[in-house]
Amino acid sequence: MSTVRFPVVFAAALLSLSGVAFAQTEPPPGQDEGQLVVDVTGGQRAPLPIAVPYLPTPQETATAAGGTGALGRQVADIVAADLRNSGLFTPIGPGGLHAVSFPQVTAPDFPYFATTGAQNLVQGFVQANGNGSLTVGCYLYDVAAQSELTRQGYVIQPRDWRRAAHRCADTIYSRLTGEGAYFDTRIVYVSETGPARRRIKRLAIMDYDGANHRFLTNGQWTVLTPRFAPNQQTITFMTYQDERPRVMVYELDSGRTRPLVAGPNMTFAPRYSPDSRHIIFSMAVNGNTDVYRIPVAGGTPQRLTNSPGIDTGGSYAPDGGRIVFESDRGGSQQIYMMDADGSNQRRISFGGGGYATPVWSPRGDLIAFTKTGGFRIGVMAPDGSGERILTGGGYAEGPTWAPNGRAVMFTRGASAGELWYVDVASGATRRVPTPLGGSDPAWSPLRP
Amino acid sequence: MDRTEAAGLGVSLAGHVALLAVLSAALVTASRAPVTPPAMEVSFVDDVGLTSAAPEPSRQPAAPAQAPEVGPTEDAAPAPAAPAAAPRPAEPAPSPAAPQIAQAQPRPAPPAPAGTARATRRPGLGDLDPRSFGRDPAARSVSPPAAVMSAQAAADIASAISRQVQPCADRQVYPGPGSERIATPIMLSLNRDGSLKGRPRVGAQRGIDDENRRYAQRVADLAVNAFVSCAPLRGLPQELYDVPRGWSNFTMNYRLPG
Repeated sequence: MSTVRFPVVFAAALLSLSGVAFAQTEPPPGQDEGQLVVDVTGGQRAPLPIAVPYLPTPQETATAAGGTGALGRQVADIVAADLRNSGLFTPIGPGGLHAVSFPQVTAPDFPYFATTGAQNLVQGFVQANGNGSLTVGCYLYDVAAQSELTRQGYVIQPRDWRRAAHRCADTIYSRLTGEGAYFDTRIVYVSETGPARRRIKRLAIMDYDGANHRFLTNGQWTVLTPRFAPNQQTITFMTYQDERPRVMVYELDSGRTRPLVAGPNMTFAPRYSPDSRHIIFSMAVNGNTDVYRIPVAGGTPQRLTNSPGIDTGGSYAPDGGRIVFESDRGGSQQIYMMDADGSNQRRISFGGGGYATPVWSPRGDLIAFTKTGGFRIGVMAPDGSGERILTGGGYAEGPTWAPNGRAVMFTRGASAGELWYVDVASGATRRVPTPLGGSDPAWSPLRP
Repeated sequence: MDRTEAAGLGVSLAGHVALLAVLSAALVTASRAPVTPPAMEVSFVDDVGLTSAAPEPSRQPAAPAQAPEVGPTEDAAPAPAAPAAAPRPAEPAPSPAAPQIAQAQPRPAPPAPAGTARATRRPGLGDLDPRSFGRDPAARSVSPPAAVMSAQAAADIASAISRQVQPCADRQVYPGPGSERIATPIMLSLNRDGSLKGRPRVGAQRGIDDENRRYAQRVADLAVNAFVSCAPLRGLPQELYDVPRGWSNFTMNYRLPG
């Protein structure tokens, strides 16, 4: 059989983002060669309209976190906020949408939601179980195709209802974008308050959206550069305890803090290995600063660099095989790469101005950095190619990756700092609310 | 007669003989009957319009009385893309849970008898007049075209389908970097009224690599959504529905713009 060919030029397609062509060189696998073939190219780079009505409850029940009806409304609010925060969705509702009855959760009124302009629909329910727990159901539908795309159910304690909402949003986000999840995460950062000369800097932790905020230190000593362990059991940070800069390890379960390295030398810029077993950090010895590695439990530091310049800010590749770091050994602050044992050191940044705080993406495909000339956040490939600036005007520094490698959080503002994050692909930015000023954010992995 | 006069007389005789020969040959050639143009009938009219009143030189599509111009054009020539761009009808469905594809009202295009329609529109890009599918506007024929899918007809149908699907394809949201390299074929089976017989079947995608693999499923969703959002198709020629390579079964290759 011969292949059907339709060499037609569709001029209108060339004038817009979309296009149509009928040139067919060979049929795709599985396609009947004798069939009519139509090629359609179309799409837009805009947020996806998605309807999020309130979640009904089969029976109103009082729980430790409130009534199940109220929780259904709050869960919908959080799901809509998460999706909006990503910059990739335009939620429709919950307010203003028709109420969804419990039976309709699995039999949506598609014709109605089609009139709202939504392409997708999130429905669900909150149900009290007999043992004091809650079940939160979460369903995602395609409105035009009138089909269910995915569903999840979460059995939780009432106090964790916000996490159920984040997980529902994560499910929707992953299904509709193809990306990994990141809403059910936490942020550890430096909370700042007071005048510049007597600034109080405390370690604080919160959900990624600013909820459930609490302080981990009391502000007696200044703290900087907190980092989450991948296993989320500890946090490492630098403190000026007793006027001496040194790296500490904070145990999240016990609240206990201990120094990472014994001895009088100044230590700073810590970061965990992907397996949570080691920390790389910088240590100044006899006036020279190099990158070292040490087990989290303590031990003898192993020096990885030995140049006469300042080597600092190390960050592991996701597979643990390489380390990216910054150094001024060439006369200006630039990004370098080395194998995990310190061998094969080479420079990868060659643009104008300085580069600092390199952080390897959890995906491994990009390295985020601070461009010190103008203080902006950018990304580049691990070989230094494809450099791209993500933030516009205004002071920005200290990037940290979301666990899906799609968003980067950073500090904006040199004095009264704010936390913002940017979607790497779309450039959409969003501020993270903090009760006081904030800086040095570190994004946790997905919560277990 | 001196010698000079004799020479002149000889030359004169030779010239006359030659002239006679030439004239004789011309006379033989001209003996064929001359073609005389037929007389043209001329009528004088009192009313003079802005359009030519000359008779139609073409013999093609005779019997205009069998193909009324007004009737068939009603559903066969909507404004380009308008049917697809318009929001879905909000009229109440028989049942909220009933699949939308089952609600599609048959819109039978009044079948214009093949070969009897008089072209009132120039067939071409986006022309949804079913009478024009597959017709070569330059061709003049007195015999009715057979219901076969010619290359021209296929191109016209492909154009009509794409014009209807394009607005819905344009609404699909770009998932992320590299997704524009994924080509997704979806196999479609349609009823005669342009509605889907069933859920589109996704074929083997092409252009998937390490960077965009995470978007493959989503792009498949978008491909299906692009079509079903603009279904049912309208204005396709009934006579080319179930012919070989007809539009009862066809493949749509979907791709995001780069």
